[in-house]
Amino acid sequence: MRNRENAILEVRDLRKSFGNNLVLDGIDFEVYSGDVISIIGSSGSGKSTLLRCINQLEMPGSGEIYYRGEDVLVRGVNVSEYRAQVGMVFQSFNLFYNMTVLENCIVGQVKVLGRSKEEARERSLEYLNKVGMSAFVKAKPRQISGGQQQRVAIARALAMDPDILLFDEPTSALDPETVGEVLAVMQDLAAEGMTMLVVTHEMEFAHDISSEVFFMHKGKIHERGTASELFENPGQPETIDFLRRFRTGRAF
Amino acid sequence: MEKLSQLIIDIGRLWEGYGNSYLRGIGNTLILALVATAIGCIIGFFFGVLNTIPVSENEHPVKRFFLGFVRVIIRLYVEVFRGTPMVLQAVFLYYGLPYITNNALRFSSIWLASIIIVSINTGAYMTESVRGGILSVDPGQTEGAKAVGMNHFQTMSAVILPQALRNIMPQIGNNFIINVKDTSVMFIIGFPDFFAAHRSATGATYLYFPSATIEMIGYFSLTLIASFLLRRLEKRMDGESSYELAAADPLVMTAGTYKHAERSRK
Ligand SMILES: Nc1ncnc2c1ncn2[C@@H]1O[C@H](COP(=O)(O)OP(=O)(O)O)[C@@H](O)[C@H]1O
Ligand SMILES: [Mg+2]
Repeated sequence: MRNRENAILEVRDLRKSFGNNLVLDGIDFEVYSGDVISIIGSSGSGKSTLLRCINQLEMPGSGEIYYRGEDVLVRGVNVSEYRAQVGMVFQSFNLFYNMTVLENCIVGQVKVLGRSKEEARERSLEYLNKVGMSAFVKAKPRQISGGQQQRVAIARALAMDPDILLFDEPTSALDPETVGEVLAVMQDLAAEGMTMLVVTHEMEFAHDISSEVFFMHKGKIHERGTASELFENPGQPETIDFLRRFRTGRAF
Repeated sequence: MEKLSQLIIDIGRLWEGYGNSYLRGIGNTLILALVATAIGCIIGFFFGVLNTIPVSENEHPVKRFFLGFVRVIIRLYVEVFRGTPMVLQAVFLYYGLPYITNNALRFSSIWLASIIIVSINTGAYMTESVRGGILSVDPGQTEGAKAVGMNHFQTMSAVILPQALRNIMPQIGNNFIINVKDTSVMFIIGFPDFFAAHRSATGATYLYFPSATIEMIGYFSLTLIASFLLRRLEKRMDGESSYELAAADPLVMTAGTYKHAERSRK
């Protein structure tokens, strides 16, 4: 089953520098359908840059990214089409401020996927309902809370029928009391078999939902394993040190 | 008191003889200012967008050269037309065109000439405003648009420009008000605006102060009404300050919350 031919995403020796700051130093991994991979690591270890390289908001310096076997970094690839398949949820939501909640979910479907307005609307409502935001279709992003905005952002990404969803610290900008509502939505998605790559500092959550966990350190995947391997039996001193700082007394 | 009644009488006399000319002047001023501001905005958006096309290092060299060249031209245009008086630009273009082409080309109508000159002038200011308006939109908006797969054009037209337009509405309004007043210099090439009505009325009656009073009141009313309408327009663009909930009870629709260990593990 898990051989490279049927990987959704394959990342090979990915490197990226900003000036002389080497931020990604040879990243290798594959993502298969239904995987939920959490990426943890301290600030500045390159987690965001990795996600941003995957959907080409940043151009990697070298290395390859294959999406369903196709190299997406070569010239001539339709980047927009590729990005439509790889959804992204940002720490700062990035909902379109000039549109209502509903329009936010519709616009990409109509403009990028060429769906009719009615179909796009129906799907948007379906996904807004799924994230518990269908009552807010008429609201503008600035009129709702951070947690609500993030749930809309997830609905917007889902409405594009992505193959894989990337989350970059989706709850880091939220008030503590709204973190739970976003994590609940993500947990449901994971349970339904959505393929996800999640950068997060919510260790308990990562422990609960992940099929695999990557610990990033200095631009490398320093240690990787199943959730229980990595959280309960970390092998590397840097991992142990990092996790110690997040322990809350609960067992995991 | 005596002076005031004298003024009112003089204004009455002026109005009797030249009322139509004043009114036509106001109409012409208003039309010129509106049309030139609109065209100036179109110029400004066109150049402002050209000016903010990202030039990345892995772009094709020809494209990079072309974009660089376009930027220099736009820069030049902006500097020249912001840096010289409009009254002079009017004379320069109006008389320059037949001069340079040996009378082969000339402005066929004062209207056309005036609209072109005021539009180009407004365009120079708007180009800078639009550039600023685009740059002031949160970069996250572009990233959000790209992440759903929109290309540069779609990102601009659906997400960035509507927000940039809202950002620069005050400047557009400002330009319109400036145009209402400054089109008065177009008398230099014979444009029949509101101020031109003053010149012809006083040329025969010598009632300078009463006519100037009419002009002051006229211009001030125009700009006051314009400011008011612009505020209304801005409010409308902002949309409702509150929103209606689509369902009767929003709590029913609210997502649950995540609780560690309550749910079964994978
Ligand atoms: N656009 C950028 N320009 C320059 N340096 C950047 C840029 N984005 C990220 N970096 C640098 O790359 C490193 C990794 O950043 P990031 O990927 O955001 O880390 P993380 O998400 O793990 O906190 C940091 O040192 C950061 O300063
Ligand atoms: Mg980050």
